[in-house]
Order: sequence, then C-alpha cells, then structure tokens
Amino acid sequence: MTEILSQYSNALAEIVEAAGQTVVRVEGRRRLPASGIVWADGIVVTSHHALERDEDLRVGLPDGHAVTATLVGRDPTTDVAVLRAETPEFITTSLLAGLASLDSLRVGHLVLALGRPGQAVQATLGIVKALGDAWHAPAGGRLDRYLETDIAMYPGFSGGPLVDVEGRLLGLNTSALLRGATITVPPATLRQRVEQLLAHGRIRQGYLGVGVQPARLPAALEQRLGQDAGLLVSSVEPGSPAERGGLVLGDTLLTVEGQPVRHLDDLMAFLGIERIGHPLSLRVLRGGQAQEIRIIVGERS
Amino acid sequence: MSTLLQELNEAVAEVAERGRRSLVEVRSRGRGVGTGAVWHADGLIVTNAHVVSRGDPRVGLPDGRVLPAKVLAWDPRLDLAALTVEATGLTAMPLGASRSLRPGQWVLALGHPWGVAGAATAGVVIGTGKEWPDAPYGGREWVAVNLPLRPGNSGGPLLDAEGRLVGITTIMAGPRLGLAVPVHLAKAFLRRTLLSPPAATQPKTAIL
Repeated sequence: MTEILSQYSNALAEIVEAAGQTVVRVEGRRRLPASGIVWADGIVVTSHHALERDEDLRVGLPDGHAVTATLVGRDPTTDVAVLRAETPEFITTSLLAGLASLDSLRVGHLVLALGRPGQAVQATLGIVKALGDAWHAPAGGRLDRYLETDIAMYPGFSGGPLVDVEGRLLGLNTSALLRGATITVPPATLRQRVEQLLAHGRIRQGYLGVGVQPARLPAALEQRLGQDAGLLVSSVEPGSPAERGGLVLGDTLLTVEGQPVRHLDDLMAFLGIERIGHPLSLRVLRGGQAQEIRIIVGERS
Repeated sequence: MSTLLQELNEAVAEVAERGRRSLVEVRSRGRGVGTGAVWHADGLIVTNAHVVSRGDPRVGLPDGRVLPAKVLAWDPRLDLAALTVEATGLTAMPLGASRSLRPGQWVLALGHPWGVAGAATAGVVIGTGKEWPDAPYGGREWVAVNLPLRPGNSGGPLLDAEGRLVGITTIMAGPRLGLAVPVHLAKAFLRRTLLSPPAATQPKTAIL
C-alpha cells in the first residue's frame, strides 16, 4: 500500500540528485552563501541581491571543489547576476535536461526548489501558486511570465533553480522581487538577461523620459476611439526623447506602433534594447483630438 | 479523476495511522508539553530532553491511559530523553535509517501541536548534516524538513514513506523549517546511556 509513497518519495529525491548537478554555491557575501545555476559552460547565474560584493567571488561545485568567479554583470531590475567560473565538463552535460516550457505549466503542479548554501544540495517541495503573462516587477524589470510558487525560500536558496517533475529548469528563484512571495524568473527572461550582461556588462534598455499612469477615457471618447483606457502623461523629462518628440503633460497615450497601451507594461514592451535609436509611432489624445507623434527611443543610462 | 492521487492519499493516511499506534503524548503538571515515540514494547519512550525538563512527566498512551513516567536518560546537548512507563505490549515504532536520507524525500511528522492529538504534517527532507549557518544550534547534526512544527510537536517522530522513524522533531527553525535529531543519533544515545549505570545519567531536577 505504501509502495506508491516510496516511489513518489524516491522520484523526488532522484530529481534533486540529477538537477542538483547544475546547482552551485555562490560565495559573494559575508555571512551566508547563496546558490547559483550553471547556465552554460563557464557561466553561472545567481541572484543579484545575494552578491554583496563585486570581487573575491567563489563558486562551490557539486564535487566539493571551489573555484574563483568573476562578475560579468548585474540586473537589479530582475534580481539576476551573471558570473564566469570554471565549471567542469560533467555539469554541462547535465544541462541537457534542459529548460522547461512554461506553456504546459499549470497552477497546482509540483515543483522543487534547489539550493546549495553549503556543500550538499538541499531541496524543498511546493506547488505552482500563480501563473500569469508578462509581469512588471516593482524593481523595474519585466519578466516574460509571472511564476509564483508556495515554496518557502530557506537561507541560501536565493539564486537557486526551480525545477519541474521532469527535472527541467523553470527559472531562478528569488524572494527579493516581490515582498512575501517566491517569484521565479523564467528561462526566456534569464536567457535575455544573460545574453545582454555577457555582451554589454549591463542591461541596455530603451528610454523615453516620460512618466505615465493608467487612465480611463470618458465614455464619449471611448466610443469614438474604440478604446476604454490609455496612459496619461504625468511628467516629461526636459531634454528627453519624449520632449523632443513633442509629447506634453496631459497627453494620453492611446497606441504605440498600432498597439493599444493601457498599462505601464504595454509601453515597456516597446523599450527593449532592439528599439534603441529607432522611431516609435504613438497615437496620443490631446485636447479631445487624436494625433500621431514620433519619438526616437533613447537609452536608459 | 486520478486514481494515482487517491492511492497517494490512502498511502499517506496509512502511514499516519500506523504511526499513531506508537505515538504518545508527554504531559507535565497537568498539561501536554510534547510528543514521544514508543521505542520498545515494554514501555521505553524517546522524546526531547527539553520536553521533560519541567519535571513530573506523565505519558498519554495510544489506548488512552495516562501513566507516570520515569526519566531513564537525559542528554540536553542532543536534546533527547529516554522515559519508561509501566506498560507492556505497546506498539514500538519501526526504525529507519537517517544517514541515507536524501533531499526531496517525503517525510511525515506526527505530534500534538497545540494539543491537537496525533496531528500529522507532511513535507520533504531539505537536507541533512551539520551545516546550518542560519539556524539555531546550527553546528549540530540535523535532518532539516520543510514542514511547520508547532509547540507540542517536540519529541515526536519523523517518519519516512515506509512509516519508519528517521528523526525526532525538535526545533521549529522557521515557519516552514523544522529540525529533527537523526534517528542514528537517537540509537547511539540509547546505547550509550542505557547500557551504563543509571546513576551516571540521572538528569538534574529542574528547579522551578
């Protein structure tokens, strides 16, 4: 009768053992080490907030060895940091378990969070608590999906991976992006951040120089424009791309590149690195009339 | 619906039910203060030392009897105590192996949290060993488990998927972080203390 329970128990332990091969210890703060994920040969991703210094970093490997690591870059807006460290061959082959697709993930699915605050791998079990589309973290970063679990983050688990029941990587766990919640930075966002940090040492992002807030449109305008809400411009930075493009206080952004914008997220979607230096066409409501505005996207410094 | 889940449910319930047959409540001065596990059918009970530090321990057996208990051995460093009650034919808890526990393995804690009799909570092994830099008594050897322990759970059994005793739940180190003394240390404690003259192992009486 309890066979099935033993099978379940052992299955969990097997996942931990296998996926644990890609989990390293990251020594980047005084008191307590954090965890990290071997992302590729010689590349480790970890939590930005768990690195309290930029130098004197070390990575502890599953086999017990420790190697020095160098900081490639940080992205505080998604709590991601990238390190270079000499990771042995056997770890890279374990990465073949691969990245999970969040498309088949559902609320209620079992997940395991792994950490290596000491020598041995540690683990905890939970379920997917909430799943959503693209999410804008209070810290400023945009995650391609919202993934929250009921996992209790233990000391040293920050920077460690979340894996599914197949042992595939669901992302990097952090308790620093949203107070009281365990959020997982999904693989697509991780990949994008890693690539940028490797290429530029920092995250390059488009910049307009405008402060906006969601605003409902009056019923009459809603009818005419076919849109119920937009983004009200509450500030325009002097000398900014927005000012140069002719945006003024009180304008309401209706669409960007033809797409309706109702939340900050909608606008942020057009400020990726690939937009820097390129024109963005906006439809804005000004004095009851809709008009077209063109802004050349600048770069956030 | 899923028969897999139904089977899992029944399996968990069975581990809890079997475990309860060897579960005792430790009482002191009219109140429940912790939990214990029947180690031997002839009345040998193992619990935490801190549970019996108040003196005048009594043990509530699965059959409902509440009997006075005598402290045979006491180790405050390990936080273990061995008690004996005048009862025979008790159901001893099967013993498991704590040294082979792996992170991710399923475990069940049984106890009397806040006086609720025979309550069960399930989780997984987070890890084992002596490296717990952020936990109380972090230099000691523990089985760390991701389940919520509460006052009253102290001294209770931690069971594996086969219903065997792998730890004695001792400390609540966080809202969902429990520390248990590995059963191999409990075995060593009993060997050490019960095979030596009783006089050497009497606990100091707690002065209240």
